[in-house]
Amino acid sequence: MNDDIRPNRLLQVVAYAVAILTSLLFLYPYWWMLVSAFRPTRAIMSAPLRPWPETLNFQIFSEIGRIGGVNLSTYAVNSLAITTLSTILGVIVTALGAYALVRRPKAPGFTLVRYGFLITIMYPYMLLVIPVYLVMFKLGLLGSYAGIILFLALGPLQFFLFEQFFRKIPNEVIEAAVIDGASEWQILTRVVLPMAMPITATVALITFLLNWAQWFPIMVISRSPDTYTLPVALLSMNSELGSNFQGIMALAVLTTLPVAALFLLAQKRVMEGMAAGAVKG
Amino acid sequence: MMDALGSLSRDRIFYLFVAPFAALTILFGVWPIVLSIQVSFTASATALRPNPTYVGFANYIAVLADPIFLASLSRTLLYTVLSVFANLAFALGFAILLDSTLLKRGNLFFRLAIFLPVVTPDVAGYVVWRWLFDRSFGAINAALKMLGLPAFGGLSSVDTAMLSILIAELWHHAGFYMIIFLANLSIRDRALEEAAHIDGATTWQRWWYVILPQLRPALVINTVYALIQFLKTFTVVVVMTKGGPNDQTNFVSYYAYQLFDQARYGEATAMATILFAIVIGLSLTAYRIGDREPGK
Repeated sequence: MNDDIRPNRLLQVVAYAVAILTSLLFLYPYWWMLVSAFRPTRAIMSAPLRPWPETLNFQIFSEIGRIGGVNLSTYAVNSLAITTLSTILGVIVTALGAYALVRRPKAPGFTLVRYGFLITIMYPYMLLVIPVYLVMFKLGLLGSYAGIILFLALGPLQFFLFEQFFRKIPNEVIEAAVIDGASEWQILTRVVLPMAMPITATVALITFLLNWAQWFPIMVISRSPDTYTLPVALLSMNSELGSNFQGIMALAVLTTLPVAALFLLAQKRVMEGMAAGAVKG
Repeated sequence: MMDALGSLSRDRIFYLFVAPFAALTILFGVWPIVLSIQVSFTASATALRPNPTYVGFANYIAVLADPIFLASLSRTLLYTVLSVFANLAFALGFAILLDSTLLKRGNLFFRLAIFLPVVTPDVAGYVVWRWLFDRSFGAINAALKMLGLPAFGGLSSVDTAMLSILIAELWHHAGFYMIIFLANLSIRDRALEEAAHIDGATTWQRWWYVILPQLRPALVINTVYALIQFLKTFTVVVVMTKGGPNDQTNFVSYYAYQLFDQARYGEATAMATILFAIVIGLSLTAYRIGDREPGK
């Protein structure tokens, strides 16, 4: 009976064993990727489990300096630029959109916008991307950064997080500003936006992490590897025949490291934000 | 009069606020979906021309009579059921473990370890898993050999390919479902458990009758999310198996993509529409079942 409140020792040991073992299994791929990036392909073949590299040699990062005829630095800059710009654009557009839909849910046409958005996020993403190719072609945006950034701007989680936040603003706060004679623009910039700073930071962070990982729309909208980001470059390197194993692992490290570091710095915000955005959906 | 004008201009600015959002939704959401459905009723060879030939439901009939599609659809459904179950069971189990009083230290570390793969770019994660499963490079078979266990077929064997990608996808997604369970666990009513404890309920009874019913919202959300997620399984196939071996992992979205690549636009978009209908139907059903109050 007593073990309901104070768990017994054995149970605790088992719980720790399970938690530690599972966590290490989840982390092992990262360790293996990191170690393999520093080991020649032949060495990995003969001893795949070696827990650390023979020598700490950064040579591989200059060897993969050019992939598919494009400089590695171009992919890295593309990743940073496309992710940052689509995040900024997405946050602004989604915040304003969600705000309008929450404040005037019954305005003519607004329900249609809502349903259009909900249907879009239900549609199988990879199958949506294909007709998007046709749309990009018609708009003359194929192969352009603008096309990629515009497409990546919208996402379900971002919208739900903002919607949920705006819904929670008490009506009295807005009413008071209206009575004071504030215009809607003033209400937005002086009342709502200052309150929305924390949620905006959360959404920006999550959008950055999600958009950094994007690959399929970028591959489809691109006309050449010049607009590829790191994940797309990694995928095309991985698909090559007789692939350079060490190089693939090195590129995987470069693709993972920035977002893993960002996540670890802001883990609380990211995990809470993602849970909140999903619970709303 | 002034009032009416005032409220009109007050409304007008909201149209300005919503305009960019509406424009992006229409341009890159509604329009492509409509286009896709339209193409599904045309002959592939003429699909992209200004005046395509409409063929009615011919593409749908062709798709539904295609044995590869039917096999692909049943495999997709099987994979979805297995994945939803495996992911939610793992996520719920681990959330309960983390929420219990058993783990006093290291809670954050465990949480981060399981959640890190969620924010890891999926391509990078699956590339690493692809090679982990590899027969000659892979750490998995090397470890099994060291432990004296039989080799694991991984991605190259028809028997284990689906299991292998299920494992890789669980690694990538389970942390997300876990934090939703954890969020739900943290807002539950603990007074109920104390009451049950005082009434002499066993640990098991407390879980089954007191805690689990309170996790209903998280269970519903996770089921709907996981259904949508795994019905659409795509990236892992592109990175790890390309649909093989012997079509074992050739799920609907990948098959449709292949047809699109072969310029069979009509059939590809018909498949997309069918998958879309299944996604909507299943999610709504899961939502309805979950929303119903117990006993009603």
